[in-house]
Amino acid sequence: MEEIFQLVSFPFMQRAFISCIILSVLLGLLGTFIVPRKMAFMADGITHASLLGIALGLLLGVFPLALALTIAIITGAIVAALRNNPRITLDGLIGILLVTGMSSAIIIFALTPGYKPELFSYLFGSVVATTWVDVYVICGLAVITLPLIKYFWRSLVLTTVHEQLSRVMNLPAHTANYFLYIFTAITLVTGVKLLGIILVSGLLIIPVLSANLITNSLRKAVIVTITLAILGSIVGLIMSFIFDLPSGPCIALTLVVLLLGCFVVNTLIRMTKTSA
Amino acid sequence: MSITRFNNKDQNIIELEDVSIVRDSNTVIRDASCCIPRNQLTFIVGENGSGKTSMVSSILGLLDISSGRITYNSSTDKELVIGYVPQKVEFPEHFQLTVTEYLKYSAHISKHDLSAVLERVDFPESHLKQRITELSGGQMQKLLLAAELARNPDILFLDEPLSNIDQGSGKHIIDVIMEIKDQGVTIVLISHDWQLVSSCADCVICLSCTSSPNCPCKNSLSEGNRELLQITSHNEHVTHEGYCYVQNL
Repeated sequence: MEEIFQLVSFPFMQRAFISCIILSVLLGLLGTFIVPRKMAFMADGITHASLLGIALGLLLGVFPLALALTIAIITGAIVAALRNNPRITLDGLIGILLVTGMSSAIIIFALTPGYKPELFSYLFGSVVATTWVDVYVICGLAVITLPLIKYFWRSLVLTTVHEQLSRVMNLPAHTANYFLYIFTAITLVTGVKLLGIILVSGLLIIPVLSANLITNSLRKAVIVTITLAILGSIVGLIMSFIFDLPSGPCIALTLVVLLLGCFVVNTLIRMTKTSA
Repeated sequence: MSITRFNNKDQNIIELEDVSIVRDSNTVIRDASCCIPRNQLTFIVGENGSGKTSMVSSILGLLDISSGRITYNSSTDKELVIGYVPQKVEFPEHFQLTVTEYLKYSAHISKHDLSAVLERVDFPESHLKQRITELSGGQMQKLLLAAELARNPDILFLDEPLSNIDQGSGKHIIDVIMEIKDQGVTIVLISHDWQLVSSCADCVICLSCTSSPNCPCKNSLSEGNRELLQITSHNEHVTHEGYCYVQNL
């Protein structure tokens, strides 16, 4: 236990904890609307597509996450714009973006001479990779995103429930949707250094599904989602440090364990109700 | 019997002039003209595929018209408040929204007003904490109606409001609709129920070809009313094939 408290004294762990807590809050709130809309695959698609930005950044010697964010914003905007297009299915569109981004990135990596050790940390996350600049970026993102979430909250709730009704009520449905998809994309990419491209979407999806198993109102679901996301990411980070493993898989597996725990609780509750 | 004319802002809350609607390269409505009279109960009827939902969607702003004009005439300085209860709604399965929360977000209904709002549409209070995804089709329609009524609309569109509701509740819903009409709300119903049309309607917009033997107006309206079927334009000398409009049954 003493060792765990010692962890907090390390600057790289402080950066990782701060980043994880803020990302858990943001992704928890955004995931509350993304998952019911069956847009979870979008998260995967966007982060995989953003690998192209990282590849270009490493090739050109430019801050990779800046280019990855650009790709993510463009991808999020394309999804928002074409979401209801009758000529193309949504998952097909996301698949196209994912394949395009990843294929282009892998070709760039293949053509780029030399070994790229930082590629592994971008793919799977690294506790030590987060700098204070990254923390300031994540804090800045939170300062912008949280008030916008509050502003669009009612529109997000009602567009998730029934978009047509929200448009009849003259709510800013289109703007709320663009905000949701673009800022989800930005937040996911911002979390790439800690959780990795492959697994960052887990922090968006798994806590929401876990909360849905043990709550029965939106208010409780949001609180439990954020709590589970924070708990999962902190425990995962600690495991990553103790066992010297990539942080992304450790956090993802911790979240899965929490999901299984919620499933057990859900089963016990239903058995209790049945026997009563 | 009076015939509604266009550009009559006092009499008509919504006017459609030569409206055409195209969906997926198909023209579902061509050059239709009609009015929705203020403070009255208007039925929109027609065969399947005649364009009823497309017309209502265009009025609600959910579907663009390819030509023509839709005019909204508010009796105050504020924009019209439009209410809409669709026939069928599929709520997302993994969204943990309760009945109470839905009413709070859709119509800003506080906990103190919940009982009165739900009693109006005969929605059981025991379901307040239930998730909206767990409601039956009929309960969902009552909930949607309760939320729309609480928004105090100037005009309320209902698509087949009794399709999922049992007979007893259906009578109650009709009583509520007539009551709010008397309070000054304009009501527009899409329905195939001609018994309902003949018992409740102040006027009917029929989106069927007048020459079609299947036009419901032919069998369900009196001779005197059927003479009015031909007049659909602000120009009384022009007759529109395909769309008929009856005023004041």
